[in-house]
Amino acid sequence: MIPLSYFIILSLILFVLGIIAFFVKKDLITQFLSVEIMLNAANLAFITFSKSASALDGQIIVFFVITVAAAEVAIGLAIILLIYRQKKSIKTEDIKSMKG
Amino acid sequence: MNTYTALYPILTIVTGALLIILLEVFLKKEKKDYLGFIAVLFLLASGAECIKFWNKGFSYFEGTLLLDKFALFFFLIMILTVIFITLISLKYLSLQHTDHGEYYGLLLFALSGMMIMVSSRDFLVIFLGLEVLSMASYALAGLKRDDERSSEAAIKYFLLGSFASAFLVFGIALLYGAVFSTDISTIMNFFHVETNFSLMALTGMAFIIIGFGFKIAVVPFHMWTPDVYQGSPTPVTAFFSVGPKAAGFAVLMRIFFPFWKEAVNSEIFFHILWILSVLTMVVGNLVALRQKNVKRILAYSSIAHAGYILVAILAGDNSGLLFYLTVYLFMNIGAFSAVIALSRKGKEFLELEDYSGIGFRYPWIGATFTVFLFSLAGFPPTGGFLAKFYIFSSAVHKGLVPLVIIGVLASLISVFYYLRIVIYMYMREPTRNVVIFSYNPALFLVLFLCLYGVLMLGIFPGNILLYIKQAVAPLAF
Amino acid sequence: MSELFLVFLVTGVLGIILVLINKILGPKKSNPTKNTPFECGSPYLQDRITPVPIKYYLVAFLFLLFDVEVVFLFPWALVFKKIGSPALIYMAVYILILALGFIYAWKKGAFLWEK
Repeated sequence: MIPLSYFIILSLILFVLGIIAFFVKKDLITQFLSVEIMLNAANLAFITFSKSASALDGQIIVFFVITVAAAEVAIGLAIILLIYRQKKSIKTEDIKSMKG
Repeated sequence: MNTYTALYPILTIVTGALLIILLEVFLKKEKKDYLGFIAVLFLLASGAECIKFWNKGFSYFEGTLLLDKFALFFFLIMILTVIFITLISLKYLSLQHTDHGEYYGLLLFALSGMMIMVSSRDFLVIFLGLEVLSMASYALAGLKRDDERSSEAAIKYFLLGSFASAFLVFGIALLYGAVFSTDISTIMNFFHVETNFSLMALTGMAFIIIGFGFKIAVVPFHMWTPDVYQGSPTPVTAFFSVGPKAAGFAVLMRIFFPFWKEAVNSEIFFHILWILSVLTMVVGNLVALRQKNVKRILAYSSIAHAGYILVAILAGDNSGLLFYLTVYLFMNIGAFSAVIALSRKGKEFLELEDYSGIGFRYPWIGATFTVFLFSLAGFPPTGGFLAKFYIFSSAVHKGLVPLVIIGVLASLISVFYYLRIVIYMYMREPTRNVVIFSYNPALFLVLFLCLYGVLMLGIFPGNILLYIKQAVAPLAF
Repeated sequence: MSELFLVFLVTGVLGIILVLINKILGPKKSNPTKNTPFECGSPYLQDRITPVPIKYYLVAFLFLLFDVEVVFLFPWALVFKKIGSPALIYMAVYILILALGFIYAWKKGAFLWEK
């Protein structure tokens, strides 16, 4: 049996990796993926805590987070597609028409 | 009372949104102007429901739906906001080639999200409300599909918004791990009882502050604000600057008001919020000085105002916060309406240069815009002055003198950039040919109502303060 | 530990035996097509994978949404007996809202191949 604390550590690592990737990566899709990783890190944490408390509500929360993430994917990809159609690029450095 | 009737204010809005979305595809193109009026009808109906609940409602569904007067007051503020936004967008959408009927549906969805946020005591429900609000906002920001700036605003808002909500979810997860509950009062009770709480609970709380900090745009989580405000269609910008902010502050109020008095270790969060507030007031006002675009100036001004409102949260001054938000609603939407009034088909006048001479050319718009700018800067006898006065004086009572000094200095700085617009309007020779489309009765109605609101709240604040006192009573126990 | 070793042993030996049997017993005829490297069924040395028409993306988004939203049916089914008939109404409302979204997408022409 793997101790529950390992899962918490894993979820922390995933979360931090997500943050780092969000700032390091320079294209929209990867940044968006890193946000998804952060959300899933939270899911893992929820499930672990729910297991350690032997309560079910943590798992129910995960359902909600998953659906929210799916809705975010749909709208996010639609916006990225819109950007791609206008600029033929999804690099962050090409998104600079506003300054100040 | 039946539990399900408590859902009526929110259900009315959601039904209206769904109906509008459906009508959008079934109605003929030339009849789409009616959609805005349908939205207003549903908004008024929901507002009437809220007023009916004023003395009745309390807690339903085990605290996940909390219809106390605090929530109902925010419902009414937000409904009023969306009514104003709908009215100022009626002509704007067709003038700026943004004629999508879904616009009104999305506004109503965003409103329902905000209503869910302010009327719950459960972090999960608050998060879901926030997401409903955010999804609708991302779509609203990118509504001008042929304008590159609009889609840039959408992508920036989307990326940073979802980044912030990931922080929020992780914060909730950590708090759930420490307390095994997502209920705010249980969590606050935990902070109250426990003398040395774990690092996990502290981190969770900090992450939640970060998540909401993005939403209400406090420095250093404000990077998205100017670009999103500049790129979005102007009525949407007006909505962003009032609605989501009010909702975010309502939630922060619910979290922190019981916290200051009781919790053992609240100093940490007090200091964090203190620093955020100072940074927000100073940076927001300083950067606004060198902006050339009126929408960007108003964006930085709204950042600075978030700083003043944080002072109210630090001072634990509920009624001051509600009064400030009410005044802010009138003056900010008024200012944006004046900006929208200066537009014609396919063109908006947003540069400072465009405003030179406007005051004599379009005296009504110039004069009302000036009043709103004076109110934003905090001159008497406008509502903006009283709102700032209440907040700062209650902060002095709580002994937050350094904070108040910084706040007053910051609002002195703000006078420069607000007055600069006024100077351009009245003391510069017109350099550009600004011709506007002036037949826009709904917009002028909103301008008039906002002017009335700003002046009334500044001169006779008594009535509204009475209701505000009632509204904050349930928080005080 | 020893069971794990046994698993590796059995699968490894089995793999080697199967490959050897193929070599020994199989017919040794060959043709040009057979000699080309195998590339998942697509023609060899194609320029790149031909892109799927972008029109398809709307269907993909809608699939993604409706696919995930249905996840709530599972916990609902588990507690259905405990709640009884109100549960049916709750889910009917939920499905109705999803259906409205579907009608909207349909009327907007999201499923039309040629616009």
